[in-house]
Amino acid sequence: MQSIKPFLAVLAVAVLCSGVSSGAGHAAAGAHRPVADTAALPGLSERAVVGREIFFDARLSSSGKLSCASCHSAANAYGPPNALAVQLGGRALHTAGLRAVPSLRYTLARTPIWAHPRPTSLAERIAEKDDVPAGGFAWDGRFDTLHEQAAFPLLAASEMAASKELVVQRIEQGPYAGRFREAFGKDSFASTDQAFAFALLALERFELEDPSFHPYSSKYDRYLDGKATLTEQEQRGRALFNDGDRGNCASCHLSAPGADGSHPLFTDFQFEAIGVPRNRSIPANRDGKFYDMGLCGPVRTNQRDPSYCGMFKTPTLRNVATRQAFFHNGKFHTLREALRFYVERDTNPGEWYPHGQDQDAVTFDDLPAALRSNVDKITLPFSGSKNKRPVWNEGEIDDVIAFLRTLSDDDQVSKH
Amino acid sequence: MSERFVANKPYLSVCAGIALMLVNGLTACSSFSPAAPVVEPSPVTGIVKHVFMIVLENKSFSTTFGSTSPVPYLTQTLASQGAQLTGYYGTGHVSLDNYVSMISGQAGTPQTISDCQTYADFTATSTTPAANGQVLGSGCVYPSSVLTLADQMKAANLTWKGYMGDMGNDPARESATCGHPTLNTADHTQVAEAPSTAVPLGDMYATRHNPFMYFHSIIDSTDCGSHVVNMEKNLASDLKSVSTTANLTFITPNLCDDGHDSPCANGAAGGYPSMNAFLTKWIPIILASPAYQADGLLIINFDESNYVTTVGPGGVTITFPGTFCCGETLGPNLAPYPQTQSAGGYSLVYGNYGGDQTGAILLSPFIKPGTVSTVPYNHYSMLKTVENIFNLPLLGNAQATGLAPLGTDVFTNAP
Repeated sequence: MQSIKPFLAVLAVAVLCSGVSSGAGHAAAGAHRPVADTAALPGLSERAVVGREIFFDARLSSSGKLSCASCHSAANAYGPPNALAVQLGGRALHTAGLRAVPSLRYTLARTPIWAHPRPTSLAERIAEKDDVPAGGFAWDGRFDTLHEQAAFPLLAASEMAASKELVVQRIEQGPYAGRFREAFGKDSFASTDQAFAFALLALERFELEDPSFHPYSSKYDRYLDGKATLTEQEQRGRALFNDGDRGNCASCHLSAPGADGSHPLFTDFQFEAIGVPRNRSIPANRDGKFYDMGLCGPVRTNQRDPSYCGMFKTPTLRNVATRQAFFHNGKFHTLREALRFYVERDTNPGEWYPHGQDQDAVTFDDLPAALRSNVDKITLPFSGSKNKRPVWNEGEIDDVIAFLRTLSDDDQVSKH
Repeated sequence: MSERFVANKPYLSVCAGIALMLVNGLTACSSFSPAAPVVEPSPVTGIVKHVFMIVLENKSFSTTFGSTSPVPYLTQTLASQGAQLTGYYGTGHVSLDNYVSMISGQAGTPQTISDCQTYADFTATSTTPAANGQVLGSGCVYPSSVLTLADQMKAANLTWKGYMGDMGNDPARESATCGHPTLNTADHTQVAEAPSTAVPLGDMYATRHNPFMYFHSIIDSTDCGSHVVNMEKNLASDLKSVSTTANLTFITPNLCDDGHDSPCANGAAGGYPSMNAFLTKWIPIILASPAYQADGLLIINFDESNYVTTVGPGGVTITFPGTFCCGETLGPNLAPYPQTQSAGGYSLVYGNYGGDQTGAILLSPFIKPGTVSTVPYNHYSMLKTVENIFNLPLLGNAQATGLAPLGTDVFTNAP
């Protein structure tokens, strides 16, 4: 069954705190305690203040060198601080992760729990495409809450590789143990499981409450407030981005203000299968039989519907112009490459996929052959056929990039 | 009225005002008024003073009212307290065209029979309506010259209110009052939103199940926000006294409670179980309200019936028979039937333009418990009945020749 729904999705990157990786160094370097601004913490609850300490605390990893902030760099919109497709973690910081690191800015409070509501009417599912899974944290949506999610990077062998006991012990012996007790009670360390659960709740509160996760300081935000003007090129790019007959980006990366005037998040949280080429630089992909198929597994284990295979959650595009690794597997490293992939995937597949024995491109090579029909070949900008003209030319891609740069927060603009 | 429509058809705005006057019996705009000054008595005209309508979703009569009904509160408990209309039909497929027909008598357009994925303005192709006041054109949101039951109630100094499940739960998705997408943009309420930190209850409101949002006469009015409101936050309190209960109360449950989704975005089962749970909670509240007890009529119907699935050599075929009743005719804006389309490896066949048999339940002090009527009725019959009750002119297909309103076969306890 073909993926259903208007889908242009998945620019950007994956799992909270997913390790460091191949290439020039790793996120842990110099990241023991990259605390942003420790001064005023206006409006934060006591639990959020504790969560902030935990988020930046590299002592909680088995290596002692990796914190949540190592990969979700506060200086990089809580995204990766480098161009690596996946990050390295583990006790010796030699274990590669599987997916690129997503930014934590903007989406956390509004990420719905994973769900796949369906009309009881099969006819409506088919005729109206009203049949799309959405939500959950991580690229495969397997966590419904931030506190559930937060356990994964702390314990994962390819990330912080700690144990509950280690995490609790180091918090209890660390400089903010008193604050932890104030936030969760004087007996909060009485049980390891309970103390670990408190730590996860603290992380959740920090990520939800701290204003640095949602500054809304981009030029586009000012434009929406009538306080800035887009250049002609930015306006052209915005029009191309929104044009449902060409780029169609806004069908998934919602760009219009909400009904209450709230500024857009540039994601609808829905899942899409867009057929990003296999990234052979990821160690796990050296095994030709291994496929990271997102929603259907193997990392996620509770959704085995074959029609889900290849689907990953649509990320926000806020601050996308400052990223250096794109899509769930970090296959591309420039925004231009990512955009060209969208508009040329079907018109010139040989540029994106390896050639088979018959010299034709093996499209959608990051899925088993039997599941490649899941990839969207209907919704623009995907044309589904070779030899058509891409919906954008190079000049128009320049325009879209100019628009996407307006989505960078003030503290990120220097990274363009 | 939209700027585009005004710009293209400036004379229509004049006629719209005249059409409103028509409702009051002052004059007529014969060239464009979709309403005809026809008033027929009902067995309960002037007796029923509060009408409550609840619309459920996409279920066939044979399943709903079968011997092993999956919604026993409706088909057993409530049916035994009121009237069962076994011959009740929808007027089309899929949802939206049915809702529109219930309050305006307008038949479907190519867009409303596909649930208006884009909330598009209606573009008229003629200034002269077809038979039975059917406006000609395509699109979703009718110009202000096209009137609804709500407009009629207002003009007659009667009150009305639409209660929409979940509307505004996510204020970024839609407003909590008069909630609809921006004109001529994609309707993001087509898919239910699951709960999140920011929206703890999720948001399963669907604009396409709120017919009031498809008429400029309503969405452009300054009091739309006081007429079309969130159900969960307002209905129970409004029902507490006669003075706060509208003469017409139109209730659309959210996409889970009305049986549309299964499973639902909030994790509930949806389908018949959620429908049964919704009715079990809310019907006693309505029946206990002073307004209902004094002079109420509660109508529980379905927008449309279901389909039949067959597997043949060519693949899976989903067929809506499209059976109609009551002299319903093909809307002038629709292509001839049968219509077919292929999608996702399936063949969808719409055999005819009707909405097929759904059945309905009515309760009222003026209906004897256990009443069963086998007389064919449809949404136009129901519109005509409500208009008759409130002594209003008939709109659209409610004025079709020979269309029977609900009569003494249903109102078996009328004084």
